[in-house]
Amino acid sequence: MALNLIRKLMVSSLFCVTAATASAETFVFTAIPDEDETKLVERFRGVADYLSEQLDVEVRYIPVKSYAAAVSAFRNNQVQLAWFGGLSGVQARRLVPGSEAIAQGVEDEAFETYFIANTNTAIKPADKLSDLEAPLKGKTFTFGSKGSTSGRLMPEFYVRDTFNSKPEDFFSRVGFSGNHTRTLRLVEAGTYDVGALNFQVWEKELGDGNIDTDAVQVIWKTPAYPDYQWTIRGDVNDRFGEGFKQRVTEALLNLDNPELLESFPRSGFIPANNDDYEPIRKTAEEIGILD
Amino acid sequence: MSGFDLSGLTASFSGKRVIGPLSLQVNPSEKIALVGKSGAGKSTLIRLIHERVNRDSSLIPQELGLVSALSVFHNVYMGQLDKHATWYNTVTLARPFAKDRTEVNSLLQSLGMTEKFWTPTASLSGGQRQRVAIARALYRNAPMLLADEPVSALDGPMAHSVMALLRDGFSTSIIALHDVELALKYCTRIVGIQDGQIALDDTAERLAASDIMSLY
Amino acid sequence: MLSSPTVRTSLVFLAIALVGLLFADIAITASNPWRDLGNFFLGILTPNFFSSEGLLTALLRTVAFAFVGVALGSIAGFLLALVYRFLPVRMFCAFVRAIHELFWALIFLQFFGFHPLTGVLAIAIPYAGIFAKVYSEILEEADPEPGRALPPGTGNISAFLYTRIPDCWVKMRTYTAYRLECGLRSSAILGFVGLPTLGFYLEASFSQGLYSDAGAMLILFYVLIATMPLWVRPKLLPVYILGAPFFLGEGLPIVWGNVQRFFTEDIVPAPLRNGEGLAGLTPWLNDLMINEAMPGIWNTIVLTQIALVATGILSLLAFPLISNHFGGPIRRNAGHVALVIARSTPEYILAYILLQLWGPSMLPAVVALALHNGGIIGHLIGRQTNSIKLRPDAASGLNRYGWELVPRVYRSFLAFLFYRWEIIMRETAILGILGIYTLGFYVDSAIQNIRFDRAMVLILVTALLNIGVDTLGRYIRRKLALQTMPTC
Repeated sequence: MALNLIRKLMVSSLFCVTAATASAETFVFTAIPDEDETKLVERFRGVADYLSEQLDVEVRYIPVKSYAAAVSAFRNNQVQLAWFGGLSGVQARRLVPGSEAIAQGVEDEAFETYFIANTNTAIKPADKLSDLEAPLKGKTFTFGSKGSTSGRLMPEFYVRDTFNSKPEDFFSRVGFSGNHTRTLRLVEAGTYDVGALNFQVWEKELGDGNIDTDAVQVIWKTPAYPDYQWTIRGDVNDRFGEGFKQRVTEALLNLDNPELLESFPRSGFIPANNDDYEPIRKTAEEIGILD
Repeated sequence: MSGFDLSGLTASFSGKRVIGPLSLQVNPSEKIALVGKSGAGKSTLIRLIHERVNRDSSLIPQELGLVSALSVFHNVYMGQLDKHATWYNTVTLARPFAKDRTEVNSLLQSLGMTEKFWTPTASLSGGQRQRVAIARALYRNAPMLLADEPVSALDGPMAHSVMALLRDGFSTSIIALHDVELALKYCTRIVGIQDGQIALDDTAERLAASDIMSLY
Repeated sequence: MLSSPTVRTSLVFLAIALVGLLFADIAITASNPWRDLGNFFLGILTPNFFSSEGLLTALLRTVAFAFVGVALGSIAGFLLALVYRFLPVRMFCAFVRAIHELFWALIFLQFFGFHPLTGVLAIAIPYAGIFAKVYSEILEEADPEPGRALPPGTGNISAFLYTRIPDCWVKMRTYTAYRLECGLRSSAILGFVGLPTLGFYLEASFSQGLYSDAGAMLILFYVLIATMPLWVRPKLLPVYILGAPFFLGEGLPIVWGNVQRFFTEDIVPAPLRNGEGLAGLTPWLNDLMINEAMPGIWNTIVLTQIALVATGILSLLAFPLISNHFGGPIRRNAGHVALVIARSTPEYILAYILLQLWGPSMLPAVVALALHNGGIIGHLIGRQTNSIKLRPDAASGLNRYGWELVPRVYRSFLAFLFYRWEIIMRETAILGILGIYTLGFYVDSAIQNIRFDRAMVLILVTALLNIGVDTLGRYIRRKLALQTMPTC
């Protein structure tokens, strides 16, 4: 038995050596977990294969469990490229000087959030959010993820702006479903009366016939704002060679595989730059999410 | 070696004096038996003496002080932990050296205990455990023995042979005994304790069992 | 009865919980909770073991993280136990074990990222604190006699190796093996924050309503824990411990600059970082305390007290399930299975499942905490009743329960319950990550907003709250003279 103890002590010294090292030449990217994981993994493995082919380096996608984890991985240089939402992109670029928004979806220039309601609430769709003050008051409401632009930042902004009160004061119960698909499911099931989600997710699920339109409907659409974008670290050229950033940008802009684009869903990618997201930054500061 | 002059021995429990003050002169080569009723203070006196002469004595406490989870060999070996380096002791814990094994084995043989060499002492009988503690004291090989009822759990013949071993193994000894016959046979001097004081102190030759019985 | 201090204490706690219920947010908000629950059980009955290629890997990783984390924790804990008598060491240990594994993981994620070290340390650090405490208690209980009989001049190390270790070895081994089971649970839930263990896939399947996939993962997890006595053998341990580090997965390389940045920038309160100095710190701290810490503390306490009493009630109802004094072997075996499932499922996973099914409120959390903890205490108390010999003409049925058994086990029941008080609170805080407004909710929000300075203050508050409850729990146990062995 004493021998076991000694063995154990010897083993402990080995732990330090085993920390695995991933190849330094692998180009790693991530994406905010805004939808069901299976869909994301499928979509971004496709992107990884595509990029790998175009860039001639090993490309790996790693799934994360939260928006913040995506931002942290980017900031910590464990990933060099990320598919961010408007807010997470602003957060990430503030934390990583030199990083740039390089491409956005055609639809992301003018993105929208849909407010949806379970039909049992009998809330009628309206053009102006202020018209919905009485029917919405005291209902239960769910955002998507805490760090989402379309699922949290913009809807919270419009609730505060229109009703002049914090969401948790205006609604009887406020939750964070985690992602857009789940917001849709929870409102459809009646777990929450009302929710706010990314309009692209709604349109795609609707097109695929995955929504029970008798149970849930859109009641209000926000004005357009800029959202998702590809953001890359400023130091990739040092690591992967001169002109690498340019090549990644071109690869993304030239992505024309219809299946892959459909999975986002985007009709294509167009150039973007950091200034496009100034409105998001201002809104976030107004709400107090950004210092 | 010279004897000990133990004076001013006292002990109190919760403010009540249980021993002394008493003095005891121990001369070299003396084998002293401490006799007296249970509760007279024999164990306390053994403990007090041990505190005084710690470095030079082998101790067999009444509770034996065995490590139940360790084998007979290891418990006996513990009598010489101070004579070896830490690394030696540590290795011995896992894999004893042949030299020590032989030494301990022959010692146990004289106590009739060889077949249980690697048994943890937890699974031994009371008499066997007592002999392990005795073997440890013999292995320690100090000039003086301090023992508290060392043969209380041994049957007649075994008690006699162990007492003979202890008599021959240590030049000086102080042994608390309730068995008057053993005390007279194996000790040279009898010290009777009564209410924490010395009530009797004489050589064994000049005493008979009946003299001692008055203490009980 | 009212003169008995144990009964009076119980009633006080019951009253507190009832008052708590008035303030608590208890509701089923899902419109069709029973249909979802039905679907879930259907999923368990029709498990799909081939859903995800990663399932077996995840199971392997779960075991690997548990082994490495617990092994490191036990070694560190043992060394700390040797110096546990020093107050700073005791305070350090109390502090690191007051912070939940998931919080540790969230902290390490910020600078080690998805490196295996994140998961290993998240288990090893709090476990080291717990091991230190329990080991030192075991060492203290060692028989002092052999030490007195040692030859004077024996070296400290030799003396320790010969007189303390052998005496404590069995107890330490039993406790360490038991902790390994806890380690498996901890390891599984680390997946919920993104480490490659079972929770990662469980969360993904559950959130997409793939109940058959989730059912398969849960079943595999139960089998893993239930068969531990078969595959965790002393002889195989060195193999496992040597092999485990190679199965942690690759993760992503550590960038050491991030570590420095985290400690020198990220966790420095914003006003100090921005050069506003101490003048800016007060309003920052006030805002944090009033808007986040206070509501978080309040909700954590309310939920803890309700869950504590619910756990107690459930334990008392559950122990007859496995007690020899009721029913036959078939019903008892069924009872064993039920309690094994209840106690093997981490409360975090239970709460996650129930939240998905019933919608957000404190109710799923209370039920999850009561099921898990009630399962543990019910099991321990039930086993204890099996050693009670009743007179042949003792009453049967409800009378036997009320007159013969409950009075006999009530003290140890309370001892376990108060021991678990702090554990329940630690879990309550962490359940906030799932969207219940306890301290964990605010910690998670701060992290989601990349405000680690706020997160650290809130984690600190959580730790202090835990230490407070732990101290109170020990005070009550001492006051009522209740003794217990440690559980996790």
